[in-house]
Amino acid sequence: MWRYLGERDLSNAWSAGKVKERIVQFKKWVMGLSVRTITRPKAFQKPGHLCLHLLQMAFLQMCNLPVRVVCRANAEYMSPSGKVPFIHVGNQVVSELGPIVQFVKAKGHSLSDGLDEVQKAEMKAYMELVNNMLLTAELYLQWCDDVTVEEITHPRYGSPYPWPLNRILAYQKQWEIRRKMKAIGWAGKSLEQVLEDVDQCCQALSQRLGTQPYFFNKQPTELDALVFGHLFTILTTQLTTDELSEKVKNYGNLTAFCRRIEQQYFEGHDKDNSGTAAPRSAKRSLLR
Amino acid sequence: MAAPMELSCWGGDWGLPSLHPESLTVMAYAKFSGAPLTVNTINNSWRTPKGDIPVLISEDIVISQPAKILNFLRKQKYNADYELSAKQGADTLAYIALLEEKLLPALLHTFWVEAENYCSVTKPWFASRIPFPLSLYLPGKMSREALNRILLTKGGPPLYSLSEVEAQIYRDAKECLNLLSKRLGTSQFFFGNTPTTLDAFVFGFLAPVYKVCFPRVQLQEHLKQLPNLCRFCDDILTCYFRLTISGHSPSGQDTADANLQKLTQLVNKESNLIEKMDDNLRKSPQHPPRKLTTLKLAAGGEESPLNRLSP
Repeated sequence: MWRYLGERDLSNAWSAGKVKERIVQFKKWVMGLSVRTITRPKAFQKPGHLCLHLLQMAFLQMCNLPVRVVCRANAEYMSPSGKVPFIHVGNQVVSELGPIVQFVKAKGHSLSDGLDEVQKAEMKAYMELVNNMLLTAELYLQWCDDVTVEEITHPRYGSPYPWPLNRILAYQKQWEIRRKMKAIGWAGKSLEQVLEDVDQCCQALSQRLGTQPYFFNKQPTELDALVFGHLFTILTTQLTTDELSEKVKNYGNLTAFCRRIEQQYFEGHDKDNSGTAAPRSAKRSLLR
Repeated sequence: MAAPMELSCWGGDWGLPSLHPESLTVMAYAKFSGAPLTVNTINNSWRTPKGDIPVLISEDIVISQPAKILNFLRKQKYNADYELSAKQGADTLAYIALLEEKLLPALLHTFWVEAENYCSVTKPWFASRIPFPLSLYLPGKMSREALNRILLTKGGPPLYSLSEVEAQIYRDAKECLNLLSKRLGTSQFFFGNTPTTLDAFVFGFLAPVYKVCFPRVQLQEHLKQLPNLCRFCDDILTCYFRLTISGHSPSGQDTADANLQKLTQLVNKESNLIEKMDDNLRKSPQHPPRKLTTLKLAAGGEESPLNRLSP
């Protein structure tokens, strides 16, 4: 029990607090495959959900698979690796982007079939770049920057629990993340250096994207889903300062990319949806 | 033109200028860009100002991580990426991230965590270069740091035991090597015919795996099945790192002078022998003087006897 509580390290990005549960229901079943994405309810959203949630949703919708989002309070305990969101298909449960991609590929859907070997190598390299730089920068900002920690992260992380558990778990998590930062050499970095790294990463992504609609020309791939998940979260989350989102906004083609994917894969499905109550407009206006 | 720059790093063996991947990266970049670095091999990490290795010291500036050192060299106009396009620069960053995420854990594991390798090769090697009593403590500390790093970055659920983590990191490393091999293809360097930052990083990470002789070598065996990567490492070693017998990488001009001196000595010895033979021949009356065209004389001073003899 304590192990599960301690290993819930989902804080890859932070939730805006305005995340709505959208139940997206499709009428058709594609190849007998019905996928349920399970995540935590809005009230208990830990920092770190939105990014992964979006990522998975983007990926699954790019594959044209019908997806239903379901919220459960005990989502982390249901997940095989302790991480949410995860997908539940038939009698199988798969979590984390890598295994999900492989699982979907095994079922016959793959976004990167059209790429040759060199392009696949490039795609994997860029995915590692995003994980290495953007993810670590998000973690740093969330847990190692004192202002953000006090005002946003601790309250949010401890919100489902009564006192003193909320403080204990938050400090435990913070200690764990700081240990990791020290091991990879980010502990000595100042906030400016971290922002500079994010800038470098965005510059690399922007140069790679150029004027194309997706990273590998006409078709979206896993890399597009990954980049969208991270950038969209950075752009739409309110923090104590706007510096991080400003860094991303400097690159016009990246913001256009996010908007395009949002319009194509998320808004179109909203129109089919009769049951959604969540205001999409709030989010739309944030993504300027 | 620029202030003299000094690099402190761990020494080398098995044909490499250094065993430490980051030090090797910086040395390779310096060779590619033509930066005049004097290399000091240090024997314990506490002598460097902050404890990190490699460290570049230029006048009063001390810079410690490879990325920062490379940035500094670029600002001093030693830029190996001058001809790269913006997209290729972006690719460089991406591939370096791939190396650090996928290959570095397995490299650290092979050197510092794998019990047989650590006890029979790594620890004695480092201990022999570190003065007592630090030799008892430092290798252990480096091993613990490596294990820590591997577990903190790769060891979360669903991998719960060290053997599962090991299996995963070696799988990742082999996949990374395959990807690098596909990207390199048949060209000499990653971006055409001139080496760049990416080549320095790849060389820095691959060369220790390739050259160091360990008892447990699954990564090295996998690397040897990728001939273009092996050829890449060998090419860089022969073209840019011609080592003297002591195993330290020389700084350009001194080697040339030393080699020239040795050559001149050899030539002088040979020409002395030839002179003696020549005298013997001239003294013996039965043999008329002959054209000694078969004799090769390098220095100019020996030409006059030859001119006398040949018509």
